[in-house]
Amino acid sequence: MKCDFCYKNEATIHLIKIQGSNIERINICRECARDFSFLNEEDFYNDLTKIFYKFYQPGDDGIRSGRNKKILRNLSYGRNLKCSYCGMDLKTIKRTGKVGCGNCYSEFKDVLFPVIKSIQGSLENKGKIPLNTSRKIRLEKSIRDLRCKLQNEIIIENFEGAAKIRDRIKRLEKNIYGR
Amino acid sequence: MAGENLYLMKNKTEQEKSAGNRNKIILNTRIWLARNLTNQKFAGAGSGRERNALLEEIKKSVSDTKIFKDFRYYKIGSLGKIQRDLLFKDYMIDAGVANRMQGKGLFIRSRLSSGMSTAVIINHEDHLGIQSTCPGLNIRKAYKEVTGIEKYFEKRLSFAFDSNLGYLTASPFNLGTALRITVIAHLPILIVGPGIADFVKKINSIGCQINGYFVGRSEIIGNLFEISNQVTLGKGERDIVKEMQAICLSIIEDEQNARMQLKRNDLLGIEDNIYRSFGLLKYAKILSYEEALELLSILRLGLDLSIIDGVYDFDFFELINKISNPRIILDMEISDEVNDDRLDSIRAGIIRKKVLKEAD
Repeated sequence: MKCDFCYKNEATIHLIKIQGSNIERINICRECARDFSFLNEEDFYNDLTKIFYKFYQPGDDGIRSGRNKKILRNLSYGRNLKCSYCGMDLKTIKRTGKVGCGNCYSEFKDVLFPVIKSIQGSLENKGKIPLNTSRKIRLEKSIRDLRCKLQNEIIIENFEGAAKIRDRIKRLEKNIYGR
Repeated sequence: MAGENLYLMKNKTEQEKSAGNRNKIILNTRIWLARNLTNQKFAGAGSGRERNALLEEIKKSVSDTKIFKDFRYYKIGSLGKIQRDLLFKDYMIDAGVANRMQGKGLFIRSRLSSGMSTAVIINHEDHLGIQSTCPGLNIRKAYKEVTGIEKYFEKRLSFAFDSNLGYLTASPFNLGTALRITVIAHLPILIVGPGIADFVKKINSIGCQINGYFVGRSEIIGNLFEISNQVTLGKGERDIVKEMQAICLSIIEDEQNARMQLKRNDLLGIEDNIYRSFGLLKYAKILSYEEALELLSILRLGLDLSIIDGVYDFDFFELINKISNPRIILDMEISDEVNDDRLDSIRAGIIRKKVLKEAD
């Protein structure tokens, strides 16, 4: 059976997911799997199951195989680009699992963000922010936190509390964007 | 009134007892926090000179302060191999990355009274690695220590930060809060029981990973495990701390239940096992590190279950550090070209002295 990604090599890793009557199959060759895996060779087989497990976590809204294939495809990079700031190239990043500088994250966004999403399950920082960040970032974070709270209030049907939070969000937004 | 007092007292001793048991299953807590400076290459990409310059900058920022007064400073490049091995082991630094020594530094403070130690690792994967270890289950205390030092640096240095990705780190596994909480757990019964597969699944499903304590080995030695939070992005620091605390308590409960069950079902079997370990530790003249750990693990279990006496209530984690090869070489001041049999025999001696009440 040929690999679903490169259509060239023989696939050696076969994933089958059965959910009710719905059966999905993914067939990958070693090369493509390594390409998408963000780990070095040593850890590759140990962590492979973990990574696949992540893609197939029940309840994840993107279980459809189309999306999974897209994630994998995004990761098989076409050219070996170099970061303009630190000179680190994608191949090295994939080999070592480490980027060279903060700028790498924005320059290789297309390649790295899906990986980060699959590792961390989120692309939204909810942790603390440094003291010296600009006022705008700080306000934006408060708005994000408030939106989370708003959702929770709506779930428990506390509409009075929700309305208050909504007003606070509006005030903050006005504060940032001047509208 | 008197009755109430009595009740309170009883309550307290029970609390202390349960804390004691807790610390016999969760042996150690380690919290690690990474930070990088803005507009600088990360340690992996920078040249030796760039790393050196950064090291100087960081050193300068701590030179005029009281907080760092009782820290000792080591330049990694100028340490001997054994010392380096030991420091790396104690502070859980991955020795594999240590081949490029230039511009790497380490600040250490250890408090003997509380057993707590704090380290700031410079230019090792990330510019700053702030780490604190505490004996037993002590997540909040270690977290407080780490954030205290982070706050200090935050006032003097500017950290690389992105509003979506949080604190930027060399490895995408640490983005966001860049906070990693690791506990070392001693799970001798859970691991052999039938529930182990479910247990590992449970740990993984709540976003944690579980590994053997000894890195780079596929087998489990001494029934010791490392459990740490896997997700650092998309969760707040407080949530991570709270979650890990809850997970640890549930691990302790699982292990304790498994112990009780086994004690009910096969008391003779465990007794036999424990006394066999006791016999070997008492009479063996040479003990390899691995064997010693396995035997001590079972003996510790015997103490926890009050099955054995004639043994000191030893601190398992402290002892396994004390009987490691680099530690023996440094403590005994012997040459590092010593042969294995001699090390193994010294090890057997240390264990007899520390563990058996009637040492020969």
